[in-house]
Amino acid sequence: MRLTIARVFSAKPAEQAPIEAIPGNALLWLIASFALLLVPQWDRLPWWLIAACAVLASWRWLAQKGRVKLPGRLLRTGIMVTLIGVYAATVQGRFTVDTAASFFVLAVGLKWLETRSARDFYVLFFIQVYLAAVNFLFKQDIAWALLTFAAIGCLMVGLQILNAPDLPGSLRAGWKRLGVLLLKTLPVVVLLFVFFPRMAPLWSVPLVSGQARSGISDTMRPGDISNLAQSSERAFRVTFGGESPPYRERYWRGLILDYLDDETWRQSDPDGFRRPARVDNDGGVGPLRSNEYDILLEPTDQRWAFALDNSVAVSGNVVSTPEDLFRFQRPADSPVRYRLARVSAVPAPAEVLSPAETRRYLQLPPSGNPRARELARELSQDLSHWEVVNTLLRRFREQAYFYTLRPPTMPDDGVDALLFDEKRGFCAHYAGAATFVFRAAGIPARIVVGYQGGDAGAGGDYLIVRQYDAHAWVEVWLEGQGWVRVDPTAAIAPSRIESGLRDAVADEGSFLENDLTSPQRYGDVAILQWASLQLDRINYHWQRWVVGYQGQSQMDLMSRLPGNFGLKELGYLTAGVVGFTLLIAGIVSALSIRRGARKDAFGRVVLAWHRLCEQVGVPVRTGETPATLAERLADARPEVESSARLFARAVNSHYYTASTQEASAHEARRLTRLLKTMKRQLRRKPEPASRTFRHD
Amino acid sequence: MRNSLNARWRRWINRRIPRADSQTLSQKNIFILPTAAGVVYGLLLLVMLITGINYQNSLIYLLTFILGALFVGAMHQTHRNLSGLSVALVRPGEGRAGDDIPFVLRVTAGKYPGLGLSLSVEDSSVESVHVSPGESRDVVLPVPSAHRGYLRPDRIRIETRFPFGLLKAWSWLRPSSAGVAFPRPLPAPDAAGTVQDGSEAASSAPLAGQDNADLRPWREGDMSQRVMWKRFARTGQMIVADWQGEQGSPHWLDFQAFPGVDAELRLSYLAWMVADRVQKNARFGLSLPGDTIEPDSGSLHGERCLRALAVWGEQPPRDPDGQPFGTRQAENAKAGVSG
Repeated sequence: MRLTIARVFSAKPAEQAPIEAIPGNALLWLIASFALLLVPQWDRLPWWLIAACAVLASWRWLAQKGRVKLPGRLLRTGIMVTLIGVYAATVQGRFTVDTAASFFVLAVGLKWLETRSARDFYVLFFIQVYLAAVNFLFKQDIAWALLTFAAIGCLMVGLQILNAPDLPGSLRAGWKRLGVLLLKTLPVVVLLFVFFPRMAPLWSVPLVSGQARSGISDTMRPGDISNLAQSSERAFRVTFGGESPPYRERYWRGLILDYLDDETWRQSDPDGFRRPARVDNDGGVGPLRSNEYDILLEPTDQRWAFALDNSVAVSGNVVSTPEDLFRFQRPADSPVRYRLARVSAVPAPAEVLSPAETRRYLQLPPSGNPRARELARELSQDLSHWEVVNTLLRRFREQAYFYTLRPPTMPDDGVDALLFDEKRGFCAHYAGAATFVFRAAGIPARIVVGYQGGDAGAGGDYLIVRQYDAHAWVEVWLEGQGWVRVDPTAAIAPSRIESGLRDAVADEGSFLENDLTSPQRYGDVAILQWASLQLDRINYHWQRWVVGYQGQSQMDLMSRLPGNFGLKELGYLTAGVVGFTLLIAGIVSALSIRRGARKDAFGRVVLAWHRLCEQVGVPVRTGETPATLAERLADARPEVESSARLFARAVNSHYYTASTQEASAHEARRLTRLLKTMKRQLRRKPEPASRTFRHD
Repeated sequence: MRNSLNARWRRWINRRIPRADSQTLSQKNIFILPTAAGVVYGLLLLVMLITGINYQNSLIYLLTFILGALFVGAMHQTHRNLSGLSVALVRPGEGRAGDDIPFVLRVTAGKYPGLGLSLSVEDSSVESVHVSPGESRDVVLPVPSAHRGYLRPDRIRIETRFPFGLLKAWSWLRPSSAGVAFPRPLPAPDAAGTVQDGSEAASSAPLAGQDNADLRPWREGDMSQRVMWKRFARTGQMIVADWQGEQGSPHWLDFQAFPGVDAELRLSYLAWMVADRVQKNARFGLSLPGDTIEPDSGSLHGERCLRALAVWGEQPPRDPDGQPFGTRQAENAKAGVSG
């Protein structure tokens, strides 16, 4: 052991060891793996870090090729100090998993410059394996996962080349060997994955990154949502237990903006500060009931959980707020699944708004937009609240208001400009303007931000809601009815609500105009659309069943199996799986050895001969040559003399000449014949006769 | 305590691996353990598992299980590299004491290929030997020698770390044949004066002169002057007389020619003289106490003489306690015990 440690991890070869200590091919695979591992992190890592890693790894490769030299200690230290300095400046003392992971990448990059020996190779191997695990913290889509596993494959092939650099055809053989190994061990991996008990986290480190995610924000300025409309990224996916509601009913409420600050709508009661920690992933168990639906939300780094009207929480990881919204306990830093149920109708709240609430929902800035205020006053003079709402909607419907993704800029008195001059805007504009008018008319009103719509995924088993489905609408408080949804966009551009943004802006041609790579942009190209949906379906199931296979879903699966499995039983089961596998492996290898022994037909015949000798009273002595045994046998039973001698000679000639496989098979057959002859001869002579002979 | 444990371990291994010039490796005599890298790999998997638990990340679980399963698979693979392999000592080497003496080993693979094998003895090794199934390869392994005499390493280690270097499987061949380390040649003080120098030799040679003739039948290559023609005329047989001390050259290399000199030194002188005579293609005989080699010439004769010098006074190694014989390690061990 000592000796081997000394050899693999030899004392301190770092400076002097020649670069050739690592075979170039092995290094190439290591670098390839590093490149693959960086790809899933491209949007998370600062660009300078990726560039630095690329330069450092190429430097190492060029050094291998002999084009350049690896830097000396001084230069290396300089590079290290510089990069760490830049890193420190970027991070500014924030410590999250994200920053730690970036530092980890930096460490791998720097290690390239001092990779000289096999030992360094292993160090890089280990940190890259861990880097793969870190990748999974941030990216869990099936494509990224496959890429990461491919990187692991490259690493394993690299190791094989390192351990047998001069083996001809090692590359193909290496991949093949790896594949066979994986296939052989696949059942164990699957069993472990299913049965390994999913324990609660031991401690929690926030995963939140400072990186901006696309998605709706908690403030709304005119134009915000129209930026979002240019993104076809997925927001969430929904599976309904029963029928999915019609398109125009798919209003996914997220948050409420009820405070107008000059031109910007905000939350008057922003979500209280929570210590950042991991979001609870347990999104409910069992099959969906007909009124239930299940949402798989992409990470938002926010606590909002989107929900339809009249929903109640089913899974334990969401709670409802007084505004009938839903919130996670922790920001959603990774894909999270939750489950809700729709109830037929929440009975209208009998109570009225409290004075505080009334104030809150009637708040307006003291000045600005005089024409809108004037309009509100006119409307509210002799109309009930309900009529005011309808009148405004009729105005939107009948006058020449346009729904557009290219709204003009309306810097001052935006509501006035929209309502009376430009008459072109996006949902956020109209929702803001309508709320303004309602409040000015004395009707409590608020803006709801969320998504509206959602297209069927492949096979129609779930809906995909994308960022371009982001929407803003209005809720007004009507006496006796409570909060009622009012969507000015529905009045201006019904197609937006009936069938989505694509149709609403079809004439304008502005749908995803800046996103050339999105398959949704080319909705009319059927094959593209189909492929993108299929891909999404695979990913959805991957997310649900593999990535999302956690505590509750494991318990859920276990509860469907016979037997009552708890966490403890699962532990035993896992130990059992491992033990059983080892046992099977042991039995298989023992059997194959036995089979190997049996294949040696020659040895078998000789053994049979030994047994025969023992049977007739000639004990086999250890170390005896076949010839002497044959002589002793002949002495005891002269009737077999000739065949025993022939037998011994054949054995001798087999052991002392190099014989090919066919020849030895032939010899074995001959021996078998001779053995049979011996047995026959022994049988022919009656026992007493031989005994008489022996007495002579 | 440690020594006795060591000795027990050694005995246990020696029981499993009998002393033999050839050895087929199987379950019984293959040992397998993780390497240092393998241990680190295990720790890494543990850390990854904790990461997976902590972040409730299924994919990290999956990665950990796959890598763990690969490790177990690698164990099988590494073991199989050796399983069924036979190793045989084909030719124990010969060489000068203190040099690395090449032993030729034959590695024959069984049903499975033997990949990434390394053969080693003490601190010398041969790396990266690959043998395809059913084929065999000869490997020359230098064995470091310490002094003249028989040279037999106690154990020749055959090891593999293929495929990933995370595990090593190894076994030993405990050869029974020994190689030979010739004495290291040293120029003799006055090589030509072998016979004349020593007092005994000087006095006996002239006396022996005419009487001590060696009569033998003629062989090809004998000079015609030395044929006893008279006898030929009488009997028709060609008889050659070998006269001791003829031609004045040191015909016999004699151990006794260096009185008062240490025996090992004498052997070194003689070794040098043998090499010298072989180079000059001279005829010479070797006289050692208890061993005499008749005069002859040629390199084969020279080797025979060197071998005689090498093993003079030595016993061929026998097994009982399974110690290395004549290697540097053996020497160090001895030095350690006496010092």
